[in-house]
This record gives sequence, C-alpha cells and structure tokens, in this order.
Amino acid sequence: MKQGMRSKRSIAKFLGSAVLFALPTLAMAAAVPGEKAPAFSEVDAAGKTHNLKDYEGQWLVLEWFNKDCPYVKKHYGSGNMQALQKKYADADINWLTVISSAKGKQGYLEPAEALDVAKNHKLQASAPFLLDSDGSMGRAYGAKTTPHMFIINPKGEVVYAGAIDDNDSANPAVIPDSANYVAAALDASLAGKAIEVASSRAYGCSVKY
Amino acid sequence: MLLSIFNRTVFLASVLLMACWSGLSAAQETASGDHVKVRWLVPDTFGPGAETIGFYFEVDPGWHVYWRNAGDSGAAPRFDFAGATGEVGPIQWPFPVRLPIEHLTNLGYEGDVAYLFEVTPDAAAMDIVVNLEWLVCKVDCIPGYGIMTLSRPVDEAASWQPQDVQLRDRFLAMVPAEATAENFLWQVAAVAASPQAGTLQFELAPREAGVELSTPDVFPLDGGLLTAKAPEVAQAGENIRYTFERVPGAPMPPSTGFVVSDGERAWQLDDQEIQAGAASAAGAAVTMASATGPASTQPLWLLILAAIAGGAILNLMPCVFPVLSIKLFSLAGHDGQAAHRVKEGLRYAAGVLVTFAALGALLLVLRAGGSAIGWGFQLQSAPVVLGLILLFWVMALSFSGLYEFGHHLMNVAGRSRGGSFATGVLAVFVAAPCTGPFMGAALGAATLLPAYSAMAIFLGLGIGLALPFVLLCVFPALLNRLPAPGPWMETLRQALAFPLYATVIWLLWVLGRLVGESGWLIGAMLMLVIVFAFWLGRHGFRGSRWLAWGLVLAALVASFSAANRLQEQGVANGSVQQQEAAAGWQPYDRNAIAQALASGQAVFIDYTAAWCITCQVNKKLVLDTAEVADLFRDNDVYMVRADWTNQDPEITRALGELGRNSVPVYAWYPAGERTPVLLPQILQVSMIKDLFSEK
Repeated sequence: MKQGMRSKRSIAKFLGSAVLFALPTLAMAAAVPGEKAPAFSEVDAAGKTHNLKDYEGQWLVLEWFNKDCPYVKKHYGSGNMQALQKKYADADINWLTVISSAKGKQGYLEPAEALDVAKNHKLQASAPFLLDSDGSMGRAYGAKTTPHMFIINPKGEVVYAGAIDDNDSANPAVIPDSANYVAAALDASLAGKAIEVASSRAYGCSVKY
Repeated sequence: MLLSIFNRTVFLASVLLMACWSGLSAAQETASGDHVKVRWLVPDTFGPGAETIGFYFEVDPGWHVYWRNAGDSGAAPRFDFAGATGEVGPIQWPFPVRLPIEHLTNLGYEGDVAYLFEVTPDAAAMDIVVNLEWLVCKVDCIPGYGIMTLSRPVDEAASWQPQDVQLRDRFLAMVPAEATAENFLWQVAAVAASPQAGTLQFELAPREAGVELSTPDVFPLDGGLLTAKAPEVAQAGENIRYTFERVPGAPMPPSTGFVVSDGERAWQLDDQEIQAGAASAAGAAVTMASATGPASTQPLWLLILAAIAGGAILNLMPCVFPVLSIKLFSLAGHDGQAAHRVKEGLRYAAGVLVTFAALGALLLVLRAGGSAIGWGFQLQSAPVVLGLILLFWVMALSFSGLYEFGHHLMNVAGRSRGGSFATGVLAVFVAAPCTGPFMGAALGAATLLPAYSAMAIFLGLGIGLALPFVLLCVFPALLNRLPAPGPWMETLRQALAFPLYATVIWLLWVLGRLVGESGWLIGAMLMLVIVFAFWLGRHGFRGSRWLAWGLVLAALVASFSAANRLQEQGVANGSVQQQEAAAGWQPYDRNAIAQALASGQAVFIDYTAAWCITCQVNKKLVLDTAEVADLFRDNDVYMVRADWTNQDPEITRALGELGRNSVPVYAWYPAGERTPVLLPQILQVSMIKDLFSEK
C-alpha cells in the first residue's frame, strides 16, 4: 500500500475549495426531508425538458441511476425497481430516473444509448432517463449514491431522502426480506398517513460526478 | 447430552452435505473475488476454551473494504454463519480510517484487515460454514461472494502458526474496547445537537487534568445519523470538540454511539445520550473555558514568543537573506533621511504581516472546511514552485548585472514606494519552506487553537520576521555601522546573486520531485527563454521587443500548464521511493508502522518534504550518513520516510496527531514504546547516538 503521493492538488483547487467552504449554503445544497425540493431543469433521453414546476400538485419520485453499479443491477436485475415504477405509475405517481455520471465516467450515456438502456432495462419510469451529465441536479439534491431515492409531495416538499430499502447487500436474494422505505413512504402517503422513516443512509455506489 | 450428540451429528451431516454441494459452488477454506483474497485466521488446533479467530482480507493496493458503518457509500461485509460446532460471537471490527473518495468519505480499510469473532468449540472438531458477502471499491465498486468452510481438531491447547497469531493480535489490538474509567484516558463531556446547523457536537475531556494527550480520531457508529466526513476539530480549554455533519433530514435519536481511536487502540462509546436543547449551554461553557485559559498544553504567550523567535531566525534563511540585504543597502544609501527609512521599515512590516495574516486566514478557512493541510502547503503546488523559480531567476540575473531592472526590479527589492511592501510579501512567501527552530510547536498549536489565537501565532511569526529589519530602519546607529555606500555595493550585489542561483537550483529539484523528471526540463526551458528574451529585448532590431514579449508569454503559458497538468496526472516519482527503500527507508504506511510497534520494534519516522530546506540539511548531514544508518540497522529500527512534498492527507493527519502541521518532525518510538519522543528540528549525529546509549 503506497500512501505517499496519493493526493495532489494545486493552489487553484485550494482556493476553489476555500470559496466553496466560504459559501456553505450554496455548496452544501441538498434535498432535506421537510424542506422545499431544490428546483431542477433537465432534458431526458428523448429530448423533453423536465422542470420541478411541471410536477406541482403531483407526487414525484426521483431515482439516481448508473447502469454499471452493482446495487443498481441488484434492483433492476431482479425487476424490483421496475415493479415499483409500474406500481406507482398506475397510482398516478411520477417517477424520474436520473443519470448524473459525467462524460467519461462510469454510467455516462449519450441520449441514443440511454434510450437503448431504458428499453433493455424495461424502465417503467415516467420518462426515459434524465441526463444530468453536468451533475447540476445531482449536486442540488445532494445525491450521493446510486440508487439514491427522493420523494417530493404535491406541495413541492421533500418527504423522503435516502436508500431504497434497509438492506445494503448487493445480493438480489435479500430483496424479498428487505423493508422498502420508498414503497412504505408512498403507501403511507396515499393512505393519508404520516411517513415513518423520512431519511436513511443512502447505500450503493458513489455518484460519478 | 444425547440431544447434543444428536445435534452434532445433524450438524456434521449438514456440513458434509455442504461439502458435497461445495463441489459445485467451490466452498473451501478461502474465498476470493476481484481485488480481494480472504482466508481464515485460525489456529491449527483449537483449545477447549474461547478463541478469537477471524477472516483475513487481503485487498489490492488502492482498493478498500469497509467498516461496520461504511460511511457515505459502500457496504460493510456480511458474515452469515450457516452453522458451527460451537458458540459464535458477534463480529469485532478493527477501527477504520477515513477514505475520501471523490465527493464522499468512506470508513474502511486499505491494504489488509481481519474481521474477528470469538468461538467456543463444543465438539471434538471446530467446524464452521459461513456465507460471505463483501464489497471492494476504488471509485467503482465490485461485490464479492463466497462460502468458506473450516474444520479443525479441538485438543487440550490451541496451537497457532506464529505469523497468523501475530496478524490476529495486530487486528485484535485495533478492536474497540468498551470504554471504562481505567482504560479510557478521556471522558465524554457533551453530545449535543443543534437542530438549525445540521451538526452534532461531541466533546471529550481528559480524565485527568493537565495530562498531555494527542487528539484522537472519532468515528460515528450510525451512518444514518452522521456523515462520514471528518468532523471539524476545535480545542476548547483542555477539551476537544468534534463537530459532525448530520445526514440531512435524519431524525434525532435519543442516543448514539462512537468509536474513539488514538491510532493504535480504540474505545467504543455506546448509547451516548444526545442533549437536544443543551447545545447552546455546552457552547457557552466552551467559550468560557477558552476565555479563561489558553487552549493548549503550552500557554499562548509562550507559543507567540516562540513564533516571534522563529520568525526572526527566518531572516537568516538562504532564500530570504539576499533579498533583505539588498533592500537594506539600498536604504543605507539614503543618508540622514531617518523618517524615510522608518516609513520603509513600516511598509515592509505591513507587507510581512498582511501576507502572514492572509496565509493564516486561508489556512484557517481550509481547516474550518475540514481540509487537512499544513504550513508550507503553497510549495506543494507545481505552478507556485515554477512561479518562484521564475522570480528568483529574474532577480538573480538582475543581481548579476545582466540587465538593470533599474526601476522595474526595485518594485520588488528596491526603492520605490510599493517596493518595501512587496519585499515583505516576498519574504514571507520564500520563508515558508524554512521551518526553523521554535516554529514547529507554535505552528502545530495553531492548527488546534481557536481562530483568534491561531491568528495571533501567525502574526507573531510575522512580527519576528519583520523585527530585525524594522529595528535597523528605526535605529540609524545600527545602520550607520554598515560601511558607507560605494562601488563595493555593486560587488556585493553580484556576490548575492549566487545564493539566489542556488535557490533556483533547489526549487528546480523540488519541481522535479513534484512532477517527475520533466520538471527539470520545464523549469530549465522557461529559464532559457527568459534569458533569450532579455537578449532579444536589448538588441533592439525591428520588432525584437514584441518577439521577446511573445516568447515569454508563450513560454509562461506552456510551462505553467505543463507543470499543472503533470501534477494533476500525478506523475509519482517511483524511482525516488525505490532508492529510499534500498537505503532501508520505508514509505509512510500507517498499518505497517502499527505492525512494527505492535511487535515491539523501535520506529523512527522522518517527516520531510523536498521543499523543506531544514529537512534536506538534516537528511544529508545526519540521517543519511553511514554512521546513523549503521546505528539504525544494528538496533533493528523500522525507518520510515514520510514524504510530504506532495499533499498527503494521511501524513497531514499523522503530523496533526503529533501536534504539528509543518516539517521537519522526527518521531522516535523506542523499542516497546507507543508514545514517540520528538527530536529537535535541527538534528545532530550525537542526538541519534544518544537514543541508543541511554539503555
């Protein structure tokens, strides 16, 4: 293990980070349960623009995606994620799946590729992937991992932020025995009840900004 | 009894079944996946009593596996015991390190780690079948799965392979113990939440007042409540306050747990009650503590005095001295203009103080942001070093009389109004690598002290640096002792060019260490272009001036971007490390050091950097001499060269634990000791001899 010479930063970066730390409110923006959801405007793989405003008065689920992440594979390979998307689409809940991988990083997709991936993953979201390759939406929401899940209520407030369920194994076999936080939050909301778990540690792969 | 025999039979049958099935799924004594190899850490024969055994993970360099709280991403390994002929205890997790991975922080292990657990056999053989799942990550992550089986006889006493029991003991020493009044030198002073700020404060107080303790690491057990990002650490009286960032929106539980580690051992603090409303009260207590007593083991005034003394000594450093001498002689020329000289002196002092304040402020802002950096950090950047090469080269050329800067250079070292201020700024910049005596302790304290005390120390250094010059300006009697101005000044000026040339050579070497061999080429080409441009500019044929400026501009852009790009690419200088290893010096590796200490070996750590002159002098005159090498070899000392030439968070952290944030630091762990002795910053061979003659 070679520890030396590992991290190299230039003064420019120091100064950059100094500015970032001086403006924590800007830099540390995140979607916090109980607060207004950060605005976004992103184009999907089919070329349609989605704004937070478009979803006023409706429920919206945001899901961060990276096709090569083992944890994403866990939920797509097993059909778990698509089943959730389908179930809540039928209940008129919007579902947007976001790719924040930067160009050249793992999981980055050109629009045409994204349409293919949507097809062969049998994506059931409300739109083909939102392509956030500059990371603006991911950073605004503080998306740390794939899959990182957010639920926004009709008033535009975040009501859930965190993992999809309570089991951070990469093994799809654990899914039937896991407590799905997103499903629980949506079911409770649809039944007019309070959400029990509004925040959890988002497990998975780091978002490749 | 009958039942238990029956159980055993059933179990063994199922193990056999597993073993058959394993023909298909490769159940065996080891498991492996991409970048990971796992094997048992067990005795050849178990004894009848409880035994701590484990899974030994060997991970490829640069990859890591996780602690129980994996941090902002990732996942802890899982051990699902399918069966065992005995009682199996819970997994014991050695304390982790913080691993910054792009925008996130993980908690885990690089290199190798053993996840341990206790078993008590209740049969004639110790049989275990376990399903493993792990995640190994660099930036991308790869999950791994395996089934591992174990079958060992149980006899009268356990018998281990010596290297395996050593490994087991090394990691067992890192497993957090339950903190008690006897084993834990600290006590928890407060765990307080402030709902607005999105933070949680954890405060430790030394159990006995007046005992000097290094700042321990604190890791949160609950990743759903606190992020893994390194907490902001502040000293409050004798207490140390850790401010953790909370996971946005996480509800506040009534209590939470932490693991505290001094880098060798660790203690677990479960169920620490969170005082929700008490944040402000705790804050007030803290402010009072820091107001009543200077927040360090040494009183603040002493630290400031040390800073002033250290600053004064900086004047004699080879890069500062020529600049100041010229400035001084230019002043001596102004006979009788006492008022003018005082003004110049004060302008210079202002330049020094403003620059120190600015550097200090930057350091404090970065510290507040959680960055681990230290004094002299500007020299860890290749473009800054290249800029200094350019500056010293141009000054040296001018001193040599290649051309008269006349009223140009005097902006830097000369007479005009802005000149003295600029000289002050320059003096601080070039003085940074020369951490001399007295400065280490003061700078180290500045990393932990509250902002205003830290700033006082920085200003103390500045006062020290400015003081001799100001004194000479204020007391003309001193200045008049200098010989009268005359032609000798020109001679002296030319002579002083040579230390500047030497400084350029040294900086080129630093650049070479930072970006690899091409550093020399980039620097030398830039220097050539500068000289050529001067020549062009002086021989004024048509357009030559424009050509000269164009050339200089092109060379500047090309060389700076090349230096920056090379450093970003991280062209590590492998050959240097190999050379060091051949001479018996190991690169800094926390685990290897812990291992050496655990086995009772003496350890010597040389915290150094290419840009630190003091370090290089000590290295050449003392550490790399045959005499010292023999001493170290004969006494079986584990020698570590912690090279801080490039920014390295691990080394910065290690320095912080020693109460320092600058180099050189020489840490000596006598055989069997775990607390280091810090040697003086100016080494002598006799000091190293004394280390061994004390026995």
